[in-house]
Amino acid sequence: MPATEVHRGPWATEAVDLVRAVSGGLLFGIPLLFTMEVWWTGTSTEPGAMVAVLGLTFLVVVVLNRTSGFRSTKNVRLVDAVMDGVETVALGLLSVVVLLFVLQEITLDTPLREALGKAVYEAMPFGIGIALAHQFLRKSREGGDEGEGSTSSASTDRIGATVADIGATAIGAVFVAFNIAPTDEIPLLAATMGPGELLALVGVSLAVSFGIVFVGGFSNEEQRRSQQGILQHPVTETAACYLIALVCAAAMLWFFQRLELGAPWDATLSQIVLLGLPASVGGAAGRLAV
Amino acid sequence: MSPRAARSAAEWTTFAVASLLVLTLLAVIALDAAQTDTPAAPVAKQSGPVEEVGGRFHVAVAVTNEGDETAEAVQVVASLQVDGDTIDADQTVDFLAGGDQVDLIFVFDDDPDDGELQVAVSGFTVP
Repeated sequence: MPATEVHRGPWATEAVDLVRAVSGGLLFGIPLLFTMEVWWTGTSTEPGAMVAVLGLTFLVVVVLNRTSGFRSTKNVRLVDAVMDGVETVALGLLSVVVLLFVLQEITLDTPLREALGKAVYEAMPFGIGIALAHQFLRKSREGGDEGEGSTSSASTDRIGATVADIGATAIGAVFVAFNIAPTDEIPLLAATMGPGELLALVGVSLAVSFGIVFVGGFSNEEQRRSQQGILQHPVTETAACYLIALVCAAAMLWFFQRLELGAPWDATLSQIVLLGLPASVGGAAGRLAV
Repeated sequence: MSPRAARSAAEWTTFAVASLLVLTLLAVIALDAAQTDTPAAPVAKQSGPVEEVGGRFHVAVAVTNEGDETAEAVQVVASLQVDGDTIDADQTVDFLAGGDQVDLIFVFDDDPDDGELQVAVSGFTVP
């Protein structure tokens, strides 16, 4: 089925644009969110340097907004790029503050300057991702729809689509999370997370995965909604692919000898759920490419 | 993609909220900058009672940077004097931002309550 443009009202369109923006930010910015050197850089940053980083981020995203941006529009004038740039920076900041809270890198006890520095530094890659949101996976939007839904064997289609989804989720999960799995950040963050934080992380991972595939309006979202696979209902697909992302996360941790037999199960679970966030972001992106 | 039309009310709302957020952030950074920074001043003190765990004695120590500037490689030394002997233990805190606190545990074979325990910061690096 060819992808079709869905008619939405202005508020719904705006909501989709914002979800697309945050999704793009996650796709580009999640590796640096798990990099302790960025936290440390942010922690020791003086206020003047924070303003400079914000200004540089703003300039970069304004330039990117002229050619890409996160909205479904073209012929972007400079004034639009500047206004979208303000929104990009704000969305980047908001996204990273929420995620840093979930990861316990910012808490209510964190000194103000430390929290500001971490947010400002982490917001830069998120801002770039937001400004490139519409560019991500555009190729599959333009060329990936041919032949979908046109074959006669429905059951073969369903199994084939399901296998393709599982494979794409696993490949995407490995693609994004593989370079995070062996790092010390995973056990470091896992040590600080209690059951409440882990549940929040599961919720964020599921919401992000759902948002990227079914809300963000990326590439072949409509095609995905119309696909025939066993997992193709948005809710079941999101849940099943999150489980696949968790299995991939566990496999990657095992591969890098980060999981040990006999280790406390809750510490092991924390690491898997933590790596499950980048894995589910990658898995969602991978499914869009199918 | 379609050519850019005039901004909708929804887009103006997003822009207004985003502008408010960015301006608020800049104001908070400016207020922070207006405050005079005090040099890094990490201090260490015992933060809880001694606990016996597996036949050894755990002492909780809180290291707090009472200054505004960051301290790196903070060396924390705990000296326990028991029956005329001195047992030294040390740990390093990689990174301590201004106002930040890190909790450490020192482990001794002897009960610190039977002797005299001193905990102190012996040095740190200014980044």
